[in-house]
Amino acid sequence: MNQRVLDVSGLSHAPADSRALIWWGNLAMMAIEGTVFAMAIATFLYLRMKNLDWPPATVPKPDMLLPIVNLVLLILSGLPALMSDAAARKEDLTAVRIGMALFILAGIVFLAIRFVIMANIGYKWSDHAFGSIVWVVVGLHTFHVLAASGENTLLLIYLFVRPATKKRYLDVRCAAVYWYFVILSWLPFFFFIYVQPWMHRKGM
Amino acid sequence: MSELVINQSEFSTERATLEKTWAPARGVIGWLTETGHKQIGMRYIVTAFCFFVLGGIEAALMRIQLAKAENNFLNPDLYNQIFTMHGSTMMFLFAVPIMLGMGVYFVPLMIGTRNVAFPKLNAYGYFIYVAGGIFLYVMFFIGAGPDAGWFSYVPLSGPTFDAGKRADTWAQMITFTELSGLIVAVEIAVTAFKQRAPGMSLNRIPLFVWSMVVTSIMVIFAMPAVMLDSTYLIFDRTMSMHFFNQSEGGDALFYQHLFWFFGHPEVYIVFMPGLGFISSIVTAFTGRKIFGYTAIVSTLVITGFLGFSVWVHHMFATGLPQLGQSFFTAASLMIVIPTAVQMFCWIATMWSGKLRVATPMLFVFAFFLTFTIGGMSGIMVGSVPLDWQLHDTYFIVAHLHYVLIGGAIFSLFGAFYFWFPKWTGRMYDEALGQFSFWLLLIGFNVTFFPMHILGLRGMPRRVYTYQPGMGWESLSRTASIGAALIALGVLMMLINFAISRRSGVVAGANPWNADTLEWSISSPPPVYNFLHIPVVSGANAVWDAAPDQPYVTGMRFDRREVLVTKTLDAEPDHREEMPAHSIYPFILALTTTLGLAGSIFYAWWFVVGMILTTIAGIGWFWPSKEDVREELRREMAMEAVRD
Repeated sequence: MNQRVLDVSGLSHAPADSRALIWWGNLAMMAIEGTVFAMAIATFLYLRMKNLDWPPATVPKPDMLLPIVNLVLLILSGLPALMSDAAARKEDLTAVRIGMALFILAGIVFLAIRFVIMANIGYKWSDHAFGSIVWVVVGLHTFHVLAASGENTLLLIYLFVRPATKKRYLDVRCAAVYWYFVILSWLPFFFFIYVQPWMHRKGM
Repeated sequence: MSELVINQSEFSTERATLEKTWAPARGVIGWLTETGHKQIGMRYIVTAFCFFVLGGIEAALMRIQLAKAENNFLNPDLYNQIFTMHGSTMMFLFAVPIMLGMGVYFVPLMIGTRNVAFPKLNAYGYFIYVAGGIFLYVMFFIGAGPDAGWFSYVPLSGPTFDAGKRADTWAQMITFTELSGLIVAVEIAVTAFKQRAPGMSLNRIPLFVWSMVVTSIMVIFAMPAVMLDSTYLIFDRTMSMHFFNQSEGGDALFYQHLFWFFGHPEVYIVFMPGLGFISSIVTAFTGRKIFGYTAIVSTLVITGFLGFSVWVHHMFATGLPQLGQSFFTAASLMIVIPTAVQMFCWIATMWSGKLRVATPMLFVFAFFLTFTIGGMSGIMVGSVPLDWQLHDTYFIVAHLHYVLIGGAIFSLFGAFYFWFPKWTGRMYDEALGQFSFWLLLIGFNVTFFPMHILGLRGMPRRVYTYQPGMGWESLSRTASIGAALIALGVLMMLINFAISRRSGVVAGANPWNADTLEWSISSPPPVYNFLHIPVVSGANAVWDAAPDQPYVTGMRFDRREVLVTKTLDAEPDHREEMPAHSIYPFILALTTTLGLAGSIFYAWWFVVGMILTTIAGIGWFWPSKEDVREELRREMAMEAVRD
């Protein structure tokens, strides 16, 4: 009897797109962290419901200039991320390097501005529950910007000193997708720190 | 069926090459670098079982203390620590890790692949889990064992009422174990969706794999809640934050909401793999296709969804709006429907198949009995008026042990006996197995059934002793005797396994004539799992295989290649190369542990830990020269084919 076989020797290796395993790992990572962020938003809403003053009377209305500048910068950093994503698809190494360098740079400037904002925010995490959740949320997001920028820097260095293979282009695409996540996850937090509390200040 | 097995006795050169490619790492350092899913899975199972024994010893100490009124065997402080350690160990260090460990071991085997999707991450998850367990027990033995119960409610566990490091220890243990749980969940979900053997479309996935997939997805959406909750608790305690501090705008009840948003799905995370074991065992022991495959898969998914909408039933006694009570009662009672559908499917399968009875099947019967009783008492505490009466009494202790031991442990022990021949290549001793089974079943009911009555008679849980003349003495003593029977039953099982492992009857590849792919390869499985990746042509892969069942060729034997298939229909899509053994998971686990464990003493340790982890992470990521050369060679070859 002849043995029937399914020959897969013609199949390619690790494509740089959504079929790859690491792409799915990246998605799962974002699902987990997205859940953490959703729970943090639930914390905001729950505490607001339970408090008569929200934010507490001692919290000054924030100066909006730097937070808005930083928000715009973060959103714009999505463009070089898109660029390196598209370039990785075409395996255009130069464009990948430029795109990555730009959004890493944007991340670093973003962190510097955030440092200034938080140094002048006017309350500590130990002042009241509002302070606690704001600092924790900002801390969480900062941690993500920091970690993502660190990983991206490592990847960029690699792309300068070692040959770029398909696997590394896949890494670039995953890094870009993760960066979109870092950008998007800041939007609801921005709303709950800078917009919502001042729309209907509870207790005033 | 046997064709699959016979085919694998040929091809000796290919087998030798595969042996070399996938060889397990040797030596102590090698042990730390291992990334094979069977080794990691077995480590989870063995480690978690050691924690089960520790948790069992703690239970025994409590039963000795409660065997008579006004006993002085344990003082109140130690008793608090012991019941907290018992609950925390059983939930976080035993139940979840052992179930996920079974998944790590069996999912790749059942779907026909060579390793999980992210082997290094998998190894890292195991080390993090062990570190969390060691951390908890080291703290316990130096006198900082947590003492506020396995859910550590604030304000009792808050900075005001729990000085020292006890509650911090508990909260950080949560971070360790949930991190590891999340890692395994991602491994299992991605592996099951992307690496199935060609032909294993969604409607042919073994039910155990389905149950692990649903479990994993529940883990992904449940565990972040408790990680955040326990982190808030640590922040409140160590950094003077106010999440749960009523006087500074925090809210103590919010702790419970976040905890149970995780805690109820957690219960399903623990018993849902058990439902998978039951389906595997029932299929093998009736020798027929399971009745209502689609119904069972849908009810698994429905149970997974419903599990997220019932958490408030743990909080009926906290004063809720009427609508909230009604909603969460209704949602809780609704769980009966999918669970009952599964039960009826299994009963229909047994009814219409040729039922054989051996130890695994006996455990299935025990599961039916005890899980149903637990479900009944669940309906009772699911209704608010009765819950107010029974809250925090021994009735709850009885209920939760009936569902968890009935749902998770009986099915797990059944699974141990069922897969023992696959693990060791030898059969367990049937007579001893049945003897141990009866000890466990009788011991369990003698221990926990009286607790229903104790609860109805008003005995609160978590009291270290009680006065004579309350009507609790004889029932408590009975429970203590039952606990001894359980201990004996577990001991018998271990003795059976220890002896049979060396001198049992040789089992062969498929002693039960079972249907899933792990039975198509030799026992114990070769290190590379499958000589050729199989092609699947039915929901019962082994039974549905034709005499000339096709298999996959064209995979490299000298590289660690796995086949990635399409998510819905499992058509071959591409090949991916798995990483070799690596020491970095262990190093990263060390640095993470330093950061997490240190941070409860001094927050900057977390920063130190993260910096070291980042440095070690470079080594994790940086590909070896040889791998890069191989990648380039491959890409060049592909180009050549294209041109």
